[in-house]
Amino acid sequence: MKKTLTAIFATAFAISVSAVPLKLEVPPAQLVGTPVPIKIENLEPKTPNPEPDVPADVKNIAKGKAVTSSDDFPLIGELSLITDGDKEASDGCFVEIMNGFQWVQIDLGKTSEIFAIAIWHYHSQERAYKDVIIQISDDPEFAKGVTTVFNNDHDNSAKKGKGTNKAYIETNLGKLVVVNPPVKGRYVRLYSNGNTSNDMNHYTEVEVFGR
Amino acid sequence: MKEYSRRDFIKTAGIAAGGLVMASNILPAQSKKAGDKLNVALVGIGAEGEVLLNSLLKLPNLNFVAVCDIWPIRRAYAFRRIFKELKQKAQQYEDYKELIAKHAKELDAVVIATPDFWHAPMTVDFLNAGVNVYCEKMMSDTIEGAKSMVRAMRKSGKLLQIGHQRKSNPRYIYARDVLLRKNKICGDIMACNGQWNRAVSKDITWAKKQEIPADTLKKYGYNDMNQFRNWRWHKGLGGGAISDLGAHQIDIFGWMLGARPSRVMASGSRDYYRKEDGSPAHDWDDNVMCIFEFDKTFQGRKAQVFYQVLTTTSSGGGYFESFMGDNGTLKMSENPSITQLFRETNAPDWEPLIKAGVIGSGSAPAASSTAVVDTRETKALVAYAFPSDIPGFDDKKPIHMYHLENFFGAVRGENKLSCDAEHAFEAEAAVFKARSAIEKGPLEFEESDFVVD
Repeated sequence: MKKTLTAIFATAFAISVSAVPLKLEVPPAQLVGTPVPIKIENLEPKTPNPEPDVPADVKNIAKGKAVTSSDDFPLIGELSLITDGDKEASDGCFVEIMNGFQWVQIDLGKTSEIFAIAIWHYHSQERAYKDVIIQISDDPEFAKGVTTVFNNDHDNSAKKGKGTNKAYIETNLGKLVVVNPPVKGRYVRLYSNGNTSNDMNHYTEVEVFGR
Repeated sequence: MKEYSRRDFIKTAGIAAGGLVMASNILPAQSKKAGDKLNVALVGIGAEGEVLLNSLLKLPNLNFVAVCDIWPIRRAYAFRRIFKELKQKAQQYEDYKELIAKHAKELDAVVIATPDFWHAPMTVDFLNAGVNVYCEKMMSDTIEGAKSMVRAMRKSGKLLQIGHQRKSNPRYIYARDVLLRKNKICGDIMACNGQWNRAVSKDITWAKKQEIPADTLKKYGYNDMNQFRNWRWHKGLGGGAISDLGAHQIDIFGWMLGARPSRVMASGSRDYYRKEDGSPAHDWDDNVMCIFEFDKTFQGRKAQVFYQVLTTTSSGGGYFESFMGDNGTLKMSENPSITQLFRETNAPDWEPLIKAGVIGSGSAPAASSTAVVDTRETKALVAYAFPSDIPGFDDKKPIHMYHLENFFGAVRGENKLSCDAEHAFEAEAAVFKARSAIEKGPLEFEESDFVVD
């Protein structure tokens, strides 16, 4: 459905452009095993993803792009799985990296205007990942020009600043983070610090919606 | 915690296995002593193997000699976890027999978490090679397989711990010894109720690029990748939900009641999961309900145990075992948030127990201003919590770690096993009998049963 963009991103565009709602393509649900109690503070109830209006030429610009990580020797899978377009929960579709506070980083290839970021950490089991922080920058080292677009580290345990976003439960629907106003940058870095089921960090897919 | 000391716990944990019968081979002489480093191997690194690995990596003084799985990505996973977390380079094997041939002499113990049908041959081979074994439950997909494991344990003189991990859990030991026995908190227990209900789930899938070659699958007993990933549902490989989930809880009923069941009646239903052609997708039942009758519990009484395992609904609040007496009910679960005690209104006052730290404080159910209560009903019971400090319990510890600690403690000669194969077999015999009861079938209704001439 196309329409003139006037709503959510109105402040970002001086000129009205054709706009479409951003709807995620989601993988099938595949929960396995006995649920593990989710013990984490600041947890939001399950809520559907928003469907923000974005310019019509916005698409997933992360697909097939290079991924690096604080752990360059994943425990299972390869970092390329994060941007391969496969969001299924199966073994062989996700990457697991070391425990502790770790990051993965997507190089979009060029500075891009980013409107939203979608994440599927791991959805075979309901769980919440800890200290999820998402940043955008043109600096591959993330030493300067860093914009934080999501941060649920409510107690600043990661020392990246206290976040105001809430922890959330992983499902096949993924988590859509709306970047409003849009942010320009070449690199997207995602942090996490284990999850409520175990100490490890996982990524099934990350999509970056931009142009 | 005032009434129950850490010394009591250690003593109890040591004798926890002695509840049903005295086994001949609970504490064989071990060449290792407290604090010794142990050479270990892990065979089977699927979902359960990973759960065990999470605990193993946190235990001190283990040297990982080898890991084994027929799926390359899973054995590589175990290798990498061990290497990155412990800086140890475990050898990787597809075939456990090769692992035994190369490493049996240096191994002190192996942890086996493969599909059920591999448990017996692997366990027997490792025991015969002189290696102590921790094997996941069910012991086997067949009763003969399970018996072969017990016989191999006896003959070899080595240790065989079965993965009924609740028997090493300090909360369960506390419930059994302090609440049910010492303080008789439930009074006379005449009935029990338990369940493990799970919401509908689809067959487990896999990434096509990670498929195991067909000839390798065949070599290890699988028809195809679907069978390999969903072995729990297939006859000849696993035992279905009553075996996977029920075995844990049926074991606990016997352990808590201090008795073997005398009779069982059971019903299974295989109707929900279907293939595209409409035929059943699985060999084993979707849902099972059964009743075990105990003729003489630790209180010298009869008791009936209703147990259900459902895979088509998560109704009823997860998984628990309830022990229902004339003075109160203990609702027990591995999940502490589900565990509660309920006092009957005519029971002796529990305030002294709260003051003594035996149980936590109670909270009355919220009163309803609109509900009309039938005067013949009993009002809702006050729920009481477990005490906050149970000796030996650490809420940050993975629940399987206690059982592994118990096993490695036994290998080092520090304690007895809390679930050796002799005792585990008793529990699993009850599961096999429940399966037979399903096959035997219930009484059939006739049309005439409902018609008056």
